[in-house]
Amino acid sequence: MSNGAQSASIAPAPAVASSPGHPRVALVGPPNSGKSTLFNGLTGLRQKVANYPGVTVERRSGVVVEAVGSVEVVDLPGVHSLSPRSLDQKVTRDFLTGRLEGDRQPEAVILVLDGTRLKTHLMLADPVLGLGLPTLVVLTMADELKRRGGGVDVRLLSAELGVEVALVNARDGASLEPVRRFLRALHTGGEEIRACPVVSAADATTAENVHGRALPVIDLFAERRKRARTLGRSAAFQDPRPSDITHRIDSVVLHRLWGPLVFVATIAVVFEAIFTAAVPLMDGTEALVAASGEFVARTLPESWFRSLLIDGVWAGVGSVVVFLPQILILFAFIAILEDSGYMARAAVIADRLMHRVGLQGRSFLPLLSAYACAVPAVMAARAVEDERDRIATIFVTPFMTCSARLPVYALLIAAFIPAGPLIGPLGMRAAVLMGLYALGLLAAIGTAALLKGTLLKGRPHPFVMELPPYRMPSLRSIGTRLLDRTKVFLRRAGKIILTVAVVLWVLTQVPSGPSGEPPEIGDSALGRMGQVIEPAIEPLGFDWRIGIGLVTSLAAREVIVGTLGTIYGVESEDDQSFELQAALQQDLDLGSAVAMLIFFVFALQCMSTVAVMRRETGGWMWPALQFTYMLVLAYAGAWVANALL
Amino acid sequence: MGSRRDSASKPADRTLADVPLEEEVVVVRMEVAGEDIEPLLERGIVPGCKVCPVRHSPAGGPTVYRVDGHLIALRRETASCLCVRSALEAAGVLDAN
Ligand SMILES: Nc1nc2c(ncn2[C@@H]2O[C@H](COP(=O)(O)OP(=O)(O)OP(=O)(O)O)[C@@H](O)[C@H]2O)c(=O)[nH]1
Ligand SMILES: [Mg+2]
Repeated sequence: MSNGAQSASIAPAPAVASSPGHPRVALVGPPNSGKSTLFNGLTGLRQKVANYPGVTVERRSGVVVEAVGSVEVVDLPGVHSLSPRSLDQKVTRDFLTGRLEGDRQPEAVILVLDGTRLKTHLMLADPVLGLGLPTLVVLTMADELKRRGGGVDVRLLSAELGVEVALVNARDGASLEPVRRFLRALHTGGEEIRACPVVSAADATTAENVHGRALPVIDLFAERRKRARTLGRSAAFQDPRPSDITHRIDSVVLHRLWGPLVFVATIAVVFEAIFTAAVPLMDGTEALVAASGEFVARTLPESWFRSLLIDGVWAGVGSVVVFLPQILILFAFIAILEDSGYMARAAVIADRLMHRVGLQGRSFLPLLSAYACAVPAVMAARAVEDERDRIATIFVTPFMTCSARLPVYALLIAAFIPAGPLIGPLGMRAAVLMGLYALGLLAAIGTAALLKGTLLKGRPHPFVMELPPYRMPSLRSIGTRLLDRTKVFLRRAGKIILTVAVVLWVLTQVPSGPSGEPPEIGDSALGRMGQVIEPAIEPLGFDWRIGIGLVTSLAAREVIVGTLGTIYGVESEDDQSFELQAALQQDLDLGSAVAMLIFFVFALQCMSTVAVMRRETGGWMWPALQFTYMLVLAYAGAWVANALL
Repeated sequence: MGSRRDSASKPADRTLADVPLEEEVVVVRMEVAGEDIEPLLERGIVPGCKVCPVRHSPAGGPTVYRVDGHLIALRRETASCLCVRSALEAAGVLDAN
């Protein structure tokens, strides 16, 4: 895929590993119908799954190997029709119709519909069958349909539609056999792949032309809905009862009083857990890092190599790895919120505020996902229908507190904020952490208001949010998420932080003295560089070490922790172990520590975010503006904090 | 779409925003401008469909409606563009299935 310079801004997913030989099958269906779950079940990959609409925003391929041959299965963003209004919907339409340059139409389609919502989801049947490709209709949520007393006769529906229909539980690999049979039939030419005779090509064109002449939209959709109901009736579709548990949870979560209260209380518990529950785990990791470092120190003879390993690598990488438990606690919480169905409710609660600042309530979902990482969040903004709103959403995303800030926050808070209680069980540290998250959110909202009032003025858009029923997050899905997260975190530590640590260590060793001994750190190449930066950051209360950290953290925020680890590691007298917190307390006072926290709340220190911004906005203008704006805000904020405290 | 041309002749029409919780109504007309109507239509909110408000969200936020057995949240201003009639009354007039 190399047509990245394509007109608008949608760069095709780089993840596509297409092997031209395999037949291609597209997974198409309304949002939240279980496409990605099905994709994961078939391919064994781990595409993101969550219980709110609009999770998948780009295509992703996977290969299913069957005895008769392999098939490439492509997961796509959810759509309600084939006339796209947002970038993610366009990805699906373009892929299905083979419009992308140098790309071919898929050989077959799996239409994934939520079996509990057939009355509306069947509205997609005609446009998709109208593509004239061999199609399998998969009805998911078989388990929920049954549990809530609904039902459907698959054979009748199949007869009505003229294609195979399967009712499955997409979460249960064993129930996917009919889907695999369909994939095999693509090789063997079995009868499962009869093309679709029922819908004429004319219907498909109408579907394509809703904006144009032919049929007024209202009539078109009223027509489709009528047909969907007729189909449902002839397939003996029995509506499931509304989910009881959903009703009960919503009556708390969306309650005028309890809703916001429960939410704030939950957040407080999570932040408190980051500081208290994580302690044993952190102590464990810390002990592990220290013990392994000491072991290396003991086994290796005194040499430059030992110094590199201990002062450079162990001190640098080790000081970041310690924060893994805290990050995992945060991710477990995010996973529960996303998989349960709470996110859609959060978007509803936030809509009034979003509306007031001129954004769509829809923008809240990408912003929430930025609590994990801004990169997927910037991509998730593709689901925002209005182009100006999408840009505004992308622009404010990096203000949301991503997990890479957590190690920096946790380190500084632990070093400078006393552990005492504040209100009830909520400790002072957790409260400060909450404050930093809130500050980021405020900055995002304020900036959005500013943008929507000036550069990106536009008319308000309606808010139409589907609230899926609550679902029990499976331990397995949370487990795999945490495992994946651990891998990502360690890989980053292994790559970026390790490289930075080695480079920094080398810079502290040159120029060597007359007899080859390393210089005093202040006289080393690194020290000199630091002193060049120092005047710029002195007003904030930072010395040259922090300055070096700020520079390296431009690559990624948590790198500053590793950098300080290396610098203090080289500096410390005994090469056993040292206390990063204690070292920081020497160099910073409360004012400059808070200044540093504020700096990290506002500054855009993440090259991956800048890169994805450029790709998604189709140029350098927005990332450059954003970088400058955030830097100015960070500097000013830190200056004020340092001056006041 | 378009003007409220027959609002004078049918004073009984209410908008969805006026419907109290748990009263089921049928959408008879949608006066939503331009493209904004599509997100509604796609999700099954079309003339003739049954809608029932189930819950107001905190602080005057969107209201949650049940449409075809599932939940959709709409702002008041959107709801007030949907003209409705009570389900019982409409049963005689429209095929509300
Ligand atoms: N009980 C049950 N839950 C399911 C089934 N299939 C999917 N889910 C859940 O439904 C939710 C949505 O699943 P996804 O696979 O993310 O849906 P999607 O179609 O990829 O959604 P988008 O990417 O937003 O278009 C998740 O919470 C899944 O765990 C099923 O067959 N049974
Ligand atoms: Mg998906």
